[in-house]
Amino acid sequence: MTASEEFTFVCPDCGESMEVNPAMKDALLENGCVVCGAELTPAAFSTSSQSLDQ
Amino acid sequence: MALEKQTEMSQSETDALLGRHETGVLSLARDDDPYAIPISYGYDADERTFYLRLVSTPDSEKRKFLSSNPDARLVVYEEAEPTYRSVVVTGELVEVPRDAMTVEHIEQYGDAKRPLFEIWGDSKPELDIKLYELRTDSISGRHIELSEPRHD
Repeated sequence: MTASEEFTFVCPDCGESMEVNPAMKDALLENGCVVCGAELTPAAFSTSSQSLDQ
Repeated sequence: MALEKQTEMSQSETDALLGRHETGVLSLARDDDPYAIPISYGYDADERTFYLRLVSTPDSEKRKFLSSNPDARLVVYEEAEPTYRSVVVTGELVEVPRDAMTVEHIEQYGDAKRPLFEIWGDSKPELDIKLYELRTDSISGRHIELSEPRHD
């Protein structure tokens, strides 16, 4: 894992999805979904390799 | 009925009022048509900027008024007799595109409350939730102290 790793974020509540960097991931976990305000857990994020596996 | 004297609020008083509230009435206009809705907001006193989530459906009246970056007014008020306070904000409502999202935006919208007045009856895919900044041109606050209790 590198500092520039991108994650795919999918909100389980509103379905919003976007690519985020580690700093944005941390901010989303702390502040909730930027679109709908839902509380988030790490399960809302996957790495690119995880996305390809699914 | 005697009218009480209105007094202008200082910037710190105005910022304090905006900070302790999370809802207000947002007014937009298009040609001669007015439009006003209750909204939830987050407020950054340093930037004097408001952060809003606005929900609309494909056919909603709201979407028509949000089609471009409209001029807007926001009114926030409180009454705690004998003191009545109000703040009127003017500015431009600017959409924050998803691909321009930053850590700072995420933090600001974390402070903005859920859209408490919005109707979520439609299924989520039908709802268009857009993020906006209200970039202020002016913020003015006033308060009135009643000298005698009001009797209804």
